[in-house]
Amino acid sequence: MSCLEFRRAVLVDPRRLDPELRAHAGRCAACGELLASTLELEDRLAESLQVPFPAGFVDRVLRNAIQQSLGGRRWLAVAASLVLAIALAAALAWPRNDPLARAGIDFVLYEEAQAILDAKPADRAVLERVASGLGVALPGQLGEIRYVGTCPFAGAIAHHVVVKTPLGKATLLLMPERPLASRVVASANGFEAAIVPARGGSVAIVSPSQRALVRVEAILGVS
Amino acid sequence: MRMLLERRTAVFESAVRAHLEDLFRYAYWLCRNRWRAEDLVQETLARAWRGWAGLREPRVVKSWLFTILYHEFARDAARPGNQREGEAPANEPYAGDDPALRLDMAKALDQISPESRDALLLQVLGGFSCGEIARILGSSEGAVMTRLSRARQGLRRALEPGEVDREAREG
Repeated sequence: MSCLEFRRAVLVDPRRLDPELRAHAGRCAACGELLASTLELEDRLAESLQVPFPAGFVDRVLRNAIQQSLGGRRWLAVAASLVLAIALAAALAWPRNDPLARAGIDFVLYEEAQAILDAKPADRAVLERVASGLGVALPGQLGEIRYVGTCPFAGAIAHHVVVKTPLGKATLLLMPERPLASRVVASANGFEAAIVPARGGSVAIVSPSQRALVRVEAILGVS
Repeated sequence: MRMLLERRTAVFESAVRAHLEDLFRYAYWLCRNRWRAEDLVQETLARAWRGWAGLREPRVVKSWLFTILYHEFARDAARPGNQREGEAPANEPYAGDDPALRLDMAKALDQISPESRDALLLQVLGGFSCGEIARILGSSEGAVMTRLSRARQGLRRALEPGEVDREAREG
């Protein structure tokens, strides 16, 4: 142990000297004097750092800190609930691809042409009766009816109608045996589909545009 | 739920209460402003409360609190207008017997670098070892030892210039 090592150690941490260093201070007068003066300086430093502690400080900061955190957490919980509610509302309000309406689009895409080829000529009077039974109007303003037939759709017999409207082609499937609780929609492959409840059954409308679909639905008087 | 919260609050309070005086004084000497020091301690406690569940070693609560406070202070000081240099002088009430001593010491502390001063304050006010100080300041233990040496040399030079000269002459 040299005096230099001792001096270094004293400058780093004079209150945590190991026994060997303390023993050196006892043997070496200069190092002993350095230790004493350093410890005296430490005492003065420690004393001068003792700024008075504010009255009631502990309770005040503890209470405020916890309340601040809980307040923040409460606000976070409120914000989270709000986001959840908005997301839920959006999810409920957002038009989803209903399987039945999607089946209407698939019918138009993959089965309609074959159904037209295979179908026997249909009686327009039957269609009028079915439409009337469903409470659906088929006025001339709907457009030119280009095809009328029957075909299986979604486990029931559908009266298949192809209409040339001013806004494009529309396919109608009148289903007197397929009741529906509420309107369902789908959108896929460039087609829009809506199946709306009608008296005792339902009517599917498939069209290439939303505008045409809305127009047909309004004229049919089922919306 | 309410009982759990009360229990957690009680455990937290009992763990941190004993360290608040040291924490406040450390905050004060970092920023030299009593109100800012109170804010720093309060923000430290708020952060500690939020992180309380994640504290795995309750025996390190004290160094944990000082670490949070130091980082909070550093963050605060980095904001425009809150720089460390140019703080108002320490014109606060004094608990000791010799008001001049504290003024001299405040001036002497101003003459050492902030890095050395931070380490010295942690050792004197917090009673931390070099290793603990290194962890709080995010530094190496060797660097902390150097800072502490420089801090004490700086203090002696500022407070006892004649004594330092004499020692230098005597080798």
